[in-house]
Amino acid sequence: MSNETVSLLIIFLFIIGATIVGLIPGLNKKMNLEEWAVGGRNFGRWLNWFILAGEIYTAFAFLGASGWAYSRGGPTFYILGYGALAYVVGYYLLPTISPIGRKHGLMTQPDLIEHLYDSKILSLLTAIIGVAFLLPYLQLQLTGLGLIIEACSYGQLTRVPAMLIAFILVASFVYLSGLKGVASTAVLKDILLMIAVVFFGLYLPIHYFGSLGGMFEALETAKPGFLALPGGTKNFDVSWVMSTLVVTSLGFYMWPHFTTNSFSARNPDVLRHNAVYLPLYQICLLFPMLVGFAALLLLETPLKTPDMAFMTIVQKLFPGWTLGLVGGAGALACMIPAADLLLSTSMLFTRNIYSKTIGKRVDPNSLINVARIAVLGLTTIALCLAIFLPNMLVNLLLTGYSGVTQFFPMIVLGLYWKKSTKLGAYAGLIIGEVLVFTLILGKMDPLPLAGMNLNAGFVALLTNLIVFVLISLFTYTPVKAKKEVSL
Amino acid sequence: MKTLKIILTLLPFVWSIGMIPFANKVHPIVLGLPFLAFWFVAGIFLAFLCLQAIYFIDSKHRQNS
Repeated sequence: MSNETVSLLIIFLFIIGATIVGLIPGLNKKMNLEEWAVGGRNFGRWLNWFILAGEIYTAFAFLGASGWAYSRGGPTFYILGYGALAYVVGYYLLPTISPIGRKHGLMTQPDLIEHLYDSKILSLLTAIIGVAFLLPYLQLQLTGLGLIIEACSYGQLTRVPAMLIAFILVASFVYLSGLKGVASTAVLKDILLMIAVVFFGLYLPIHYFGSLGGMFEALETAKPGFLALPGGTKNFDVSWVMSTLVVTSLGFYMWPHFTTNSFSARNPDVLRHNAVYLPLYQICLLFPMLVGFAALLLLETPLKTPDMAFMTIVQKLFPGWTLGLVGGAGALACMIPAADLLLSTSMLFTRNIYSKTIGKRVDPNSLINVARIAVLGLTTIALCLAIFLPNMLVNLLLTGYSGVTQFFPMIVLGLYWKKSTKLGAYAGLIIGEVLVFTLILGKMDPLPLAGMNLNAGFVALLTNLIVFVLISLFTYTPVKAKKEVSL
Repeated sequence: MKTLKIILTLLPFVWSIGMIPFANKVHPIVLGLPFLAFWFVAGIFLAFLCLQAIYFIDSKHRQNS
């Protein structure tokens, strides 16, 4: 058998295997979203470790981080910085949100907004914005899966057909397995991918350059300054990394699907205790970067698509079955988070947009069908975005972060600052999102300002925060405060 | 105690964001990593230690009250 037959065969075995494993728990009993999320907490310590560490390994970390290391150098290291800081934010934020959710039966982020500001329209707006910025995240996973299939076919399948296959695979995976598939397949994928990433991340530098330090010295000699800021870019300098770290560390828990997760925690102390150990898992993100740097030195012809760095180096230096194994694990790393994201997004759409507007009088039992159609619709939109507006994986994630970070003033001040008002939340959110849209679509991200290059999301967040505080101070009336204290 | 908690909360941010202008260099290579990468990895351990300490203070506080 030729190399491409072997590697494609292995990938499809993985995907079919995962779908079957994912279907098994669903055969015995029907699980709902809450059961799934809380069920994960019954795993033992080691399984739990793999699941938590594995959540970090999506297409973004696996292909995106290596792709940025290959093409951008130093700026990639920001990825090592934000996770640990995000958990410090989470240590305070999640234990505050979780009891409110339990007490008032909240399930999604727009539910929380409706509760905090007593406004259905603001909640609807949050839901629409949430869906809009989950789309680039979804596009990221589809693009990643397309890249993997392209690499494993040794270029026989080009990008667009590869992404069409990816689309069919993801949509049918979610349709067949639903969320039931996520928990049971996540363990398998996490173990395989972790082994692959650590193996290649250490093997390539040590085998070809003697040590990690040896590889970085060789890279510094070949490309002086590539490993510092701004590395291989013009404007991703110190000020960009600093502003991006603010956006990503504050924005981390503003992703709508993470709010849902925190609502299902058993008690606030579980969330606090988890936050303490989570930073250590961020070390895992270093290994894909090592592969990207090794690829830069070892590949002779420059890659047209830097996100292919990981797959290409494995394709060039190892036999077809190795590529198939890496591709199979990688494919699951794209599909499982994609399934998770798709279901959260479709729930956001069904629960907080559809049933609050045109579907007001629809029988709640038929909502599941709406959610299913939403899954197909959202995957199609993400596929169109991936084909017609292709972008590097890290850029896609950063776009999403810039958008969801704008929820930060509204949610955090809404929770801790008594003088927050509905009008302040409206004004801050709208101005923040308009700025994000204008700057990103106008290709002004990063924004040059006073000799610095600032992340567009950071500029928007700062403006948002100032507007929120000023308008709140103007519109705050002590009478209203009494009502809000009863959280 | 409250001041200590604020310091422990802010320290990871000062390290991983505030100090970047001073950590932005390739040499010295520490533990096989370029200095900037090493700085961020050290920041991860610092965040872990700070959270560990805050958790310790919080659970002691809960026991007392």
